[in-house]
Amino acid sequence: MGSLIELKGVRKVYRVGNEKVVALQNIDLTIQKGEICCLLGTSGSGKSTLLNLLAGLEKPSRGEIIIKDIHIEKLNEQRLVLFRQKYIGFVFQSYNLLPGLTALENVGLPLAFKGIPRRLRDKKSQQMLNAVGLTSHNNRKPSQMSGGQQQRVGIARAFVGNPQIIFADEPTGNLDSKTTIDVMNLITGMARRNSQTLIIVTHDISIANYADKVIHILDGNIEKVVTQTPSSNLPAEKII
Amino acid sequence: MRNFDILLMGLKNLFRRKTRTILTVLGVVIGTASIVVMVSLGMGMNESFEAQLKQMGNLNIINVTTYRNDPDSSGGPQKEIVLDDAAITKISKIEGIKGITPVIESSMKLISGKYMAYVQVMGIDVKSMPNFDYPIAEGRLLQEGDSDKIVVGGNIPQYFYNPKSRYGSVDGQPAVNVLTDKIEATFDMSYGEKQQQQGLGGSDTSDKAPKLYKLKAVGVLDITNDWQKDQYIFMDYLNLKKLMKDAAKAQNGQSQSSMMFDTNSIGKSFDRLMVMVDKIKDVDRIQSEIDDLGYGTNSLADMRKSMQKQSQTIQLVLGAIGAISLIISALGITNTMIMSIYERTREIGVMKVLGCKMGNIRHLFLLEAGIIGLLGGCIGVILSYLASFALNTIGKSFMNSESGGMLSMGMGMGMGDAESRISVIPIWLALTSIAFAIFIGLVSGFSPARRAMKLSALEAIKSE
Repeated sequence: MGSLIELKGVRKVYRVGNEKVVALQNIDLTIQKGEICCLLGTSGSGKSTLLNLLAGLEKPSRGEIIIKDIHIEKLNEQRLVLFRQKYIGFVFQSYNLLPGLTALENVGLPLAFKGIPRRLRDKKSQQMLNAVGLTSHNNRKPSQMSGGQQQRVGIARAFVGNPQIIFADEPTGNLDSKTTIDVMNLITGMARRNSQTLIIVTHDISIANYADKVIHILDGNIEKVVTQTPSSNLPAEKII
Repeated sequence: MRNFDILLMGLKNLFRRKTRTILTVLGVVIGTASIVVMVSLGMGMNESFEAQLKQMGNLNIINVTTYRNDPDSSGGPQKEIVLDDAAITKISKIEGIKGITPVIESSMKLISGKYMAYVQVMGIDVKSMPNFDYPIAEGRLLQEGDSDKIVVGGNIPQYFYNPKSRYGSVDGQPAVNVLTDKIEATFDMSYGEKQQQQGLGGSDTSDKAPKLYKLKAVGVLDITNDWQKDQYIFMDYLNLKKLMKDAAKAQNGQSQSSMMFDTNSIGKSFDRLMVMVDKIKDVDRIQSEIDDLGYGTNSLADMRKSMQKQSQTIQLVLGAIGAISLIISALGITNTMIMSIYERTREIGVMKVLGCKMGNIRHLFLLEAGIIGLLGGCIGVILSYLASFALNTIGKSFMNSESGGMLSMGMGMGMGDAESRISVIPIWLALTSIAFAIFIGLVSGFSPARRAMKLSALEAIKSE
């Protein structure tokens, strides 16, 4: 089986005024299908840059990024949008739900972008909300929900289109420790059940325990890659 | 993304910022309303111009006159132009003329029993009468051989009154049925009043009784609001000439003449010629051709042109004033959309990351701007209809108090409400301005929408 994600000699340099800031030196990395990966590093290590490159939000200064045999560094923005629509789900640190939409509508957003009719969308979104344990929050606006609830909606939104890859950028950064455990169990559980690839970016070592593979990043380089048995991989439903 | 979903999302976004949306829409409302009302004033003016022109006569008729307005020979003595049969032959050779007739005008007094009426008489060529679009209501038009017959204008029957009675026959049925009653005519305008004077003062000299001529009315015209048709009686010009000569002879030697015409002028030339042009677009050409033959001409087309020019200028000025406020409201829309983008930078970024197509984002913003335009346009048009209604209502009472009494008496019942409308909003103006408001919305939303589309997804989600 070929790898799902492959990075070859990726380098990213930012230009800040007249100075060059090297965010990523030289990254070679492969991630298999169904793997739960953790990009672990301190702030400024380049882990977020790496995530942005993987998601096609930024282009590398050099090197190749191949996802599903597609060179995404060569795609233009239009194609990148379609690519993300098709293969990628996103969970943000600050949830990033659209404030004007209800929970149900927020979950259905990626489906709406794909042009799926409302009826089918609502049905799927409802299923996802049920799966994240928010059965009766359909018509709540984000401002009417707690951080944990919002992040669950965010997770439902990331998974609703059944994407092959899910990126989570500090998904628990704004949550308390109890909710963090719930959310981590939920997100990893869902990914495992559908054998989706989950890539989590974090600076929190305890989060890394949920991953199969922990990629330590330091100063724009991969310091080490640790393959491990995740400490907790219980099905999500049982935890909540 | 489906169009319906974009629409729904756009509406939701607008609804979320109610106050701002309402204020922006209000700007468009004022802009649209001011443009529509301004243009409607111009249209109203146009309409009343047209109505006035209609009252003044037929636009297809060119009058050939004995005087010329020559700008070159101003001051010097004008060469007299003679309009005779030769002139008619010459002019009638021009292509596109439907009919031509000599015109002699005079005033007469009609007598029928104890009723009398002052009338204007137009002597015309009876053969060409059918060419001049005289609308017959009763009876028939004049035809060849009708030397002592007349056709009377639509208002003439109302003119008969009883000089002995204190009250005229203003209301109700005309006192005389012109077609059946016996009618006589005289050029002596004081006929009938002399008897009264005699009775009062008894100091009258032994006047010969003025000569009466028998006339037979064969037709009554429709009321057209054209005074050259409504307020005249028509007869054969040869007969009119004969009667005038005869009256002049009978009057000769009398010191005190109450006749309306200069006896010396009879015979030489016609008062004017009337030329009926077949197609209105030929009026200009034919008029200048007759001009080139050395005759004086005038037609309502001249006046129509200058009126149109005038009203166009006024409309342009009014429209420009309205346009300024619409431009300001366009700035308002742009500002609102830009603000909206700043506010929603993050949202736009999230949408992009979640796979929203760039085109959809552009459409969303254009749509929001367009909806602002549409709403503003619709409300603006409704407001303008209200304003127009108010203007017309106020204006009507104002105009009625000013000149309404005179108008309604002079013009008869042919006057509709149309003449007193100050502001006119035709349906096309309403629709065009709504379309224009949408267009303004889209144009002002275009650059913000582009900007939203170009926003980097990364920048958007980064901003904390």
